[in-house]
This record gives sequence, structure tokens and C-alpha cells, in this order.
Amino acid sequence: MNEHLSTERIIDFVHGELSPADDALAHAHLAACSDCREAYEIEALLSEALRSAAKAEELEMPSLVTAAVWDRIRQAKPSSASRLAAWLRPAYAIPVAAALLVGGFFASPLAHRAGPTIDATYYLEAHAAQAAQTPLSERSSSLVLETSMIANPTSSAFVDASADGLATTGAIDDVR
Amino acid sequence: MGEPRTPLEPPSPEQAAFLERAMTQYGKATYNFAYRLTGNESDARDLSQDAFIRVYRAWRSFQPGTSFLSWIYRIVTNLYRDELRRRKGRFQEEIPEDNAPQEFSGQRPLAVTPIEDYVDRQLGEPLSRALAQLSSDQRQVVVLADIEEYSYQEIAEIMGCSIGTVRSRLHRARALLRRLVERARTQQER
Repeated sequence: MNEHLSTERIIDFVHGELSPADDALAHAHLAACSDCREAYEIEALLSEALRSAAKAEELEMPSLVTAAVWDRIRQAKPSSASRLAAWLRPAYAIPVAAALLVGGFFASPLAHRAGPTIDATYYLEAHAAQAAQTPLSERSSSLVLETSMIANPTSSAFVDASADGLATTGAIDDVR
Repeated sequence: MGEPRTPLEPPSPEQAAFLERAMTQYGKATYNFAYRLTGNESDARDLSQDAFIRVYRAWRSFQPGTSFLSWIYRIVTNLYRDELRRRKGRFQEEIPEDNAPQEFSGQRPLAVTPIEDYVDRQLGEPLSRALAQLSSDQRQVVVLADIEEYSYQEIAEIMGCSIGTVRSRLHRARALLRRLVERARTQQER
């Protein structure tokens, strides 16, 4: 390779930025050409001088820089957006959502779909009617008795029972 | 400097630990990088402070496994560029921008001082002064390529430009540096 290396090529060579093939060519040329070698050494020394000059005046970062950074951060206040975001974090959001869901359910008509209401008159009438049909049940017998007593207050059972003050017991025994 | 004064959010423990580690491990490198870009300690302090506030704000965007230093250099570079844009009009840069025509022809310098002169102990100071006279983009490329020893690809990523732009900025910057150093040396000798 007889052609001299351009300064640009030498600079790229110094910085290791030539392709492997070009790097090998430049290397071979520098070994053979003293003019280019001198130019290369100048470039290499310039890089070296820049590095050593920088090293010679290397500074520590003043502590007031660190202090000023922390100072600005200490003054930080959460924005309304970040407060909202904090509330939307799962740790808060899941219990809150669950509470709202449960509360919402009981407040809604869904919670009151438990069936029709029965008023007291209906209950008494229906129950009495049922009891009349099943006279052998213990509970129904007293009802039957009471009903019959109302129907016939002069029955002997009623009179006897009321005489010894054990109206209910006597009446039940009597029926048995 | 460049960082807007929009309100900060209070830190989470992880965020505070991230920032603490960033400043402990990379504070010095960040500050020196900022100092080389700005050329003075007052601006370097402001720039470093804004860079770490940006680290704090954007800590989640850092991808673990990638270079933290490259990440923070990119932050510093962007903040510095924003700041220069803001200051434009107030300060005029003395050195022409990259696209302005320059004397550099692409050939080797015709007259070079003897190589030994470059290793002269006196070189440091003229070199620092010369560096300060480059355009901000040229200075950033030189700092990243020669002082921080990043590859052209990495510099392109840090500066947000193409590799071709990195290469041409570096070539122009070095031509200027050579000239400025030589000029400084001849003035010293007089």
C-alpha cells in the first residue's frame, strides 16, 4: 500500500474505529512509511495529552451538590395525581373495592329479594287451618282446644280446669 | 441550569437508594464530565445537580445491565445542550459551528512541531484552553472519545446523533486542537 493515510484515517485508527481489514492495512502502511508514522504519533500523543491533562485536573464533586439535590427532594410534596395513584395501589384499592361491593349489595334491591312478606293475620288463619287438619300434633292440639273453647265456653273441661286453677294443663289432660 | 422547576415527588425507599448510589459511585465522574463541557466549576455544579435531579425523576427508565455512566453522560449532554440553547443570544460562541467552513483540508498538517513538543509538560494547560475554545459539540466529542474513551457508536448514542456526525466532529475538533495548541506554544515561546 503506497498511498499515504489521510489524517482522518489516522484519527480513526488511533481510536480503533477502522474495520479489521482497514486496520490491518493501516498497520502495514505505518510500519513502512515514516511520514505517516510521524503523523500517527502526533495524533496518538494528542489523545494521550488530552487524557493526562484531564487526569491532572480531576476534581471531586463538591458536597454541596449532593446536599442541594437532597434538599430539593426533601421539599417534594406529593401531587394530587400521586395521592390518587397511591390510593389506587392494590394494598388500598382491594379492601376499598371489597367494602364498596359489599355495601353496595346491601344497599341495592338485590339484597331485598328474600321472598314475600307474610302478615300476621294470614299467619294465624293459615296456621289454625293447618292445625285443624292435623289434630294429632302436640302443638296443634292446644290450638284446637283453644279454638273449641272459644267456640263452646261452657264445656265441662273448661269449667273443671278453671276450678282448680290449672286451666291449660287440665284442659290438655282432659283432651288426652 | 437546564432542569425545569416542576415539583418533585417524594421518594420511595428504592428511589432514594438508587439516587444515593448514583451520586456516591458516579458523582465524581459526572462532575468532571460536566466541568469539561462547561469549562468552569460554577456551571459544572449546576449541571451536575440538575443531572442528578433528572436521574431521580427518571430512575425507572434506567435499564439494568446497561452502562450507568453512559446513561448519565447522555443526561448531562442533553441538559447542557438545552442550557446552551437557552443562553443563546446572551452568549455568542467564539468558535464557528460544525458546518461553518474551516481551514482543515483533510490532509495531514503541513508543518508539525517535533513530536517531543507534544509530550512537553507545558502541554496540559494550552490543551485545556484549546479545549475550551472548541464548539460545545466538538468539545463533547473530544471529551467522550479521548478522555472517556468511548467508541464512535457509544458517543453517537450518548449525543443522539449519527456515527458519521461523531466522526466528522472529531476530525474537525482535532484539527482545531492541533492548531490551537501550536499557536499557544508559539505565543509562549515569544
